[in-house]
Amino acid sequence: MCASVKYNIRGPALIPRMKTKHRFYYVTLFSIVLLGLIATGVFQFWPHSIESSSDGGVEKRSIREVPVVRLPAASPIPERGDLSCRMHTCFDVYRCGFNPKNKIKVYIYPLNKYVDDAGVPVSSTISREYNQLLMAIADSDYYTDDISRACLFVPSIDVLNQNPLRIKETAQALAQLSRWDRGTNHLLFNMLPGGPPDYNTALDVPRDRALLAGGGFSTWTYRQGYDVSIPVFSPLSTEVVLPEKAPGPRRYFLLSSQMAIHPEYREDLEALQAKHKESVLVLDKCTNLSEGVLSVRKRCHQHQVFDYPQVLQEATFCVVLRGARLGQAVLSDVLQAGCVPVVIADSYILPFSEVLDWKRASVVVPEEKMSDMYSILQNIPQRQIEEMQRQARWFWEAYFQSIKAIALATLQIINDRIYPYAAISYEEWNDPPSVKWTSVSNPLFLPLIPPQSQGFTAIVLTYDRVESLFRVITEVSKVPSLSKLLVVWNNQNKNPPEESLWPKIRVPLKVVRTAENKLSNRFFPYDEIETEAVLAIDDDIIMLTSDELQFGYEVWREFPDRLVGYPGRLHLWDHEMNKWKYESEWTNEVSMVLTGAAFYHKYFNYLYTYKMPGDIKNWVDAHMNCEDIAMNFLVANVTGKAVIKVTPRKKFKCPECTAIDGLSLDQTHMVERSECINKFASVFGTMPLKVVEHRADPVLYKDDFPEKLKSFPNIGSL
Amino acid sequence: MPLWRRKSFWLALSVFWLLLIFLGLFPLRLAVPPRPLPGRSQGWPRWLDAAFLRSFFQPEALPEDGPQLRQAPRGSSCTWGACFDTSKCKGNLLKIFVHSSAGPTAEAHRRILDSLEGSRYYALSPAEACLHLFLPSQDHRGACGPLPPYWNGGRNHLVLSLYPAPCTRLGQAMVAEASPSSDIFRPGFDVALPYLPEAHPLRGGVPGQLRQHSPQPGATLLAVAEEKGGWRTHASACPWDRHCEQDPGPQQTHPGETLPNATFCLIPGHRSAASCFLQALQAGCIPVLLSPRWELPFSEVIDWTKAAIIADERLPLQVLTALREMLPSRILSLRQQTQFLWTAYFSSVEKVVHTTLEIIQDRIWGASGRPSLMWNSPPGALLALPTFSTSLKDFPFYHLQQGSSPESSFSALIWVGVSGEPLLKLIQVVAGSRHCAQILILWSSEEPPPDRWPETTVPLAVIEGHRKASDRFFPYDNISTNAILSLDVHSTLSTSEVDFAFAVWQSFPERMVGFLTRNHFWNEAQGVWGYSTELANEFSMAFTTAAFYHRYYHTLFTHSLTKALRTLVDDTPACVDVLMNFLVATVTRLPPIKVPYGRQRQDAAPLVAEGPGPRPEPQPLAQDCINHVATRFGHMPLVSSRVRMDPVLFKDPVSVQRKKYRSLEKP
Repeated sequence: MCASVKYNIRGPALIPRMKTKHRFYYVTLFSIVLLGLIATGVFQFWPHSIESSSDGGVEKRSIREVPVVRLPAASPIPERGDLSCRMHTCFDVYRCGFNPKNKIKVYIYPLNKYVDDAGVPVSSTISREYNQLLMAIADSDYYTDDISRACLFVPSIDVLNQNPLRIKETAQALAQLSRWDRGTNHLLFNMLPGGPPDYNTALDVPRDRALLAGGGFSTWTYRQGYDVSIPVFSPLSTEVVLPEKAPGPRRYFLLSSQMAIHPEYREDLEALQAKHKESVLVLDKCTNLSEGVLSVRKRCHQHQVFDYPQVLQEATFCVVLRGARLGQAVLSDVLQAGCVPVVIADSYILPFSEVLDWKRASVVVPEEKMSDMYSILQNIPQRQIEEMQRQARWFWEAYFQSIKAIALATLQIINDRIYPYAAISYEEWNDPPSVKWTSVSNPLFLPLIPPQSQGFTAIVLTYDRVESLFRVITEVSKVPSLSKLLVVWNNQNKNPPEESLWPKIRVPLKVVRTAENKLSNRFFPYDEIETEAVLAIDDDIIMLTSDELQFGYEVWREFPDRLVGYPGRLHLWDHEMNKWKYESEWTNEVSMVLTGAAFYHKYFNYLYTYKMPGDIKNWVDAHMNCEDIAMNFLVANVTGKAVIKVTPRKKFKCPECTAIDGLSLDQTHMVERSECINKFASVFGTMPLKVVEHRADPVLYKDDFPEKLKSFPNIGSL
Repeated sequence: MPLWRRKSFWLALSVFWLLLIFLGLFPLRLAVPPRPLPGRSQGWPRWLDAAFLRSFFQPEALPEDGPQLRQAPRGSSCTWGACFDTSKCKGNLLKIFVHSSAGPTAEAHRRILDSLEGSRYYALSPAEACLHLFLPSQDHRGACGPLPPYWNGGRNHLVLSLYPAPCTRLGQAMVAEASPSSDIFRPGFDVALPYLPEAHPLRGGVPGQLRQHSPQPGATLLAVAEEKGGWRTHASACPWDRHCEQDPGPQQTHPGETLPNATFCLIPGHRSAASCFLQALQAGCIPVLLSPRWELPFSEVIDWTKAAIIADERLPLQVLTALREMLPSRILSLRQQTQFLWTAYFSSVEKVVHTTLEIIQDRIWGASGRPSLMWNSPPGALLALPTFSTSLKDFPFYHLQQGSSPESSFSALIWVGVSGEPLLKLIQVVAGSRHCAQILILWSSEEPPPDRWPETTVPLAVIEGHRKASDRFFPYDNISTNAILSLDVHSTLSTSEVDFAFAVWQSFPERMVGFLTRNHFWNEAQGVWGYSTELANEFSMAFTTAAFYHRYYHTLFTHSLTKALRTLVDDTPACVDVLMNFLVATVTRLPPIKVPYGRQRQDAAPLVAEGPGPRPEPQPLAQDCINHVATRFGHMPLVSSRVRMDPVLFKDPVSVQRKKYRSLEKP
């Protein structure tokens, strides 16, 4: 600051020719500017000190300052856990109530320090992990600070590890929580349950009806559909960065890295090593390490020293053997290393087993069969092993790698039970991102040929070509399976003709007026559509014969999940321009059909209107073009299947029309269509269209057979 | 220093200091918008000393978390690992032996026995078996009847009862009973069965009632299962008279056996309502279970969240709102899943029993058992054998879910009854296809195979057959591709035809793609199935003497069909086509695909010829086949199609130069 003052003094010297009168002025100005600069600089350092020194209050304080609560020796103790508890008996759903977002509200009790009558603390206040866990919940969408609106309560009493707890006093501390009410809707997190000598597999603290997210459940203690089985968090997850290793064979086939293993089991493992030599590695703790080396991070085999957990990446399968407790933190390390865990812990409930499919990422071997382990594992084909390695790593990334991941997965599981209709699916829980990207789940997956009697609804999009429209209506009404005709009147400036003027046809005819002249009105899911099959048809398509249309409907029945149309089109990769190109030449392949006349399932109308990705719908309406290409993209993307082109027809030819064909010849039209394909492909992020070399014809098409005996004789013009 | 200078200096300095103090007091509030203070609105404080908190987990401090041996299974709390000895299952194959109680067999027992006989699980002696089936008698409730020999404390026993069992927990035996109470059900050990009606068909069974994927607009939203059986539907979708404020509207009651016709079926949680569950499933009515107190059937493997909604009975209005607002996409998939599950696992007693056994077989296989996808997507686990492969990409039906596509090469499998000129020509034709990976000759002739074979660009191998018709569909190890082109020595094809048919197969890898086809029909007059061989407008079967199909169907043919059916084929080789078509149609529920056959003339008869040896009357025999096989299957799986797949420019009046498959059109 002195320096700046000096600089300030020197100021006038820098402007020697200035008039004295102005000098004062300039000096002041200069100093103010300088001040601003300094003040800004000060901001950079001050906020922190301000925050820490000012009233911080709730936000920042020391753990030593938390309120102390004295627990009288005679204060009530909750009953032991009720093993018959289920969500519909012990959980109070009324607290969760109706919720438009289908998210439960979680309240966290403020942190207290509990002491007994003598003033001796009940336990250490909170562990690092439990603090992180509560922080993760508080930062999530589940959190509420309003205790009266909460559906789930999380005590801040840390029971992650049962070891340092004073069981009775901890239970008393739980019982005095303001909304305890026999533990209803309370969630406790525990990773290391039980204690010597018998090591119960669930937390020993009496907790009445409280839900337990426990890290070592066995089938005897786990209340299916009520408790949540969670992993034992491994601190190494955050300390060590293990880069993902590509799946494939590794140096050791089987590796055991645990230190505290029962001698009998160790004998079994060493027998395996003796038998299979190089491919099995059994590690133990190091006895000859020099001072200062973390023994947690080292493992030894005879005199060889290995880095832990890095050594796990050298093995295909890694043993996860029960200790006194069923849940082992090593499971997390093993998954992190992309090593396939071989879980040997009878009756152990694997973490998140309610939703995770452990079969895809692990091998469970009964303790009795430990000696056969090697041959069991060898029977697993290499491709499956690689899948498992990938899956193991993905489980770690999604559900094991941090306390936050564990906490949120637990809450999601409970949330899914309370709002089952909004629950996350098996695929969302279990499929790694790479599978989620490439896999297709066809919305019409059930193989089903709808009955012919249902018929189809024809939807004619029209603007003002009434004469042509009436001809289309008359032609289409000759098709036997037509069950309804819907005219979408897209002209807002003109009323549709009077009712008496419309052609008289044998099926109901409805006219829908639209609010705006948009191409996407053709694909709107009108309530009037009662059949599953929809025939989209332009108001100038009069050349299709009744046989052609009826046959098109028959083909759609056999392929109800596809777009079934007449003239086919193709997309091609233009190597010179490095982009997609639209092709209407008569080629040997098709990848799209024109929707000037096409059959499809009405569900695709819903998808087109409400689920079209990106801005495609607006783009189509703005350009007044390519709605058919957009539909082709949509259907191919969602079903993963190709279109079906029926009959040899190559174009929609009509005497006076200037629509598709007239335009198709136009060069600019072609350019525009190509642009659409490129635009859509970039929005979809991929090219969903599938190219095929076949079209659908009637069975006896052009066969040497009397025409009058054929079902669809009137087919064949181009 | 002049006065003005000093003055201005001090002035500037004091202004400077003043400003500094001023800004120092309110800097944040003036200049920077207040930062959102983490923790304030979010409740959980950021502790100053958080960095000094100790971890809950001190590996050093856990010396006692070490050795302990396994505990012996406690009483009836059995688990799979503790109470089932898999080492008794040789080759990990489940073989069962049925102990039926002495005296007259009850009807329910007889049906179970019938469904097992001849299946691949059936063991003839108790020594071969690794699972003993105990069927408790239904006569006197409470008592279980005498325990079978080899009881051994119930170890490796399954107590199977299609109805809620009279006696359940028996030593270490697994229990498979209808709708067990979830309080006593042991997950991963017991098996929950569906509650079957008395007259449930033994085999085949009625397919699901659903005729269309999406619900009819204006269809009834909700049907409620009645206490006494049957269903009640409401016009206003307000099933609770007490809870709804609006008028419940006219309601209709439907008697016991009728299936509900609504989008959702509300089923109360008590165990007696479990019988409604299957009705809803069959009707394609999405079951909404209100806090069920019973275990859902086959819950170990079936992901019921994909087909049903399990909601809390205490929140009826919330459930109702959720149902009304459910997205069409969700309704669509739930509806379809109900139908798939019904047809795959529940429509007959045989399917229920086999599903139970497959669940146990999967447990024995452990890691090489079926992945969840196989159980929960068509065609279902009974038709997807994991012995074929553990990789889903190898099966014909999971390409979409796996994001994979079928391979681009095929193996030609030529069945040779009589050697001769046509064979050599056929080899040349097939080897001419650039997609052909190998040619396998299945030699079934009396004469020995020739020593020399024509030079071909692709590997050629000879397999010695046993001169049995079922040989043709044996899963030979030599077959290296997933696509098989099955040929008869008399097949006359062109390379162009082979290429095109293969291109079509790649679009339909789960179906059979054939050149020559037949149609089946129901002969009202005689009350039998018949079929047409002449040219027709429809077809439902493809001749396997010239057809593409997936290698998996060989495995299925050999390992899933009952012995009786395979013997039938060996005795009457003409039936082999029918049987294969039945099998594939059972899996796909769709017709085969027909592709054009260039030399389709009336003298195409040689291609029709199947099997070795003389057959005086193929037609009546074949007629017989279809009826025989249909009886064995218990239903008619064949589906007719009116479509043939032709090349895009097939027989179009355009230049031949444009056409890729031009030789298809030669007369």
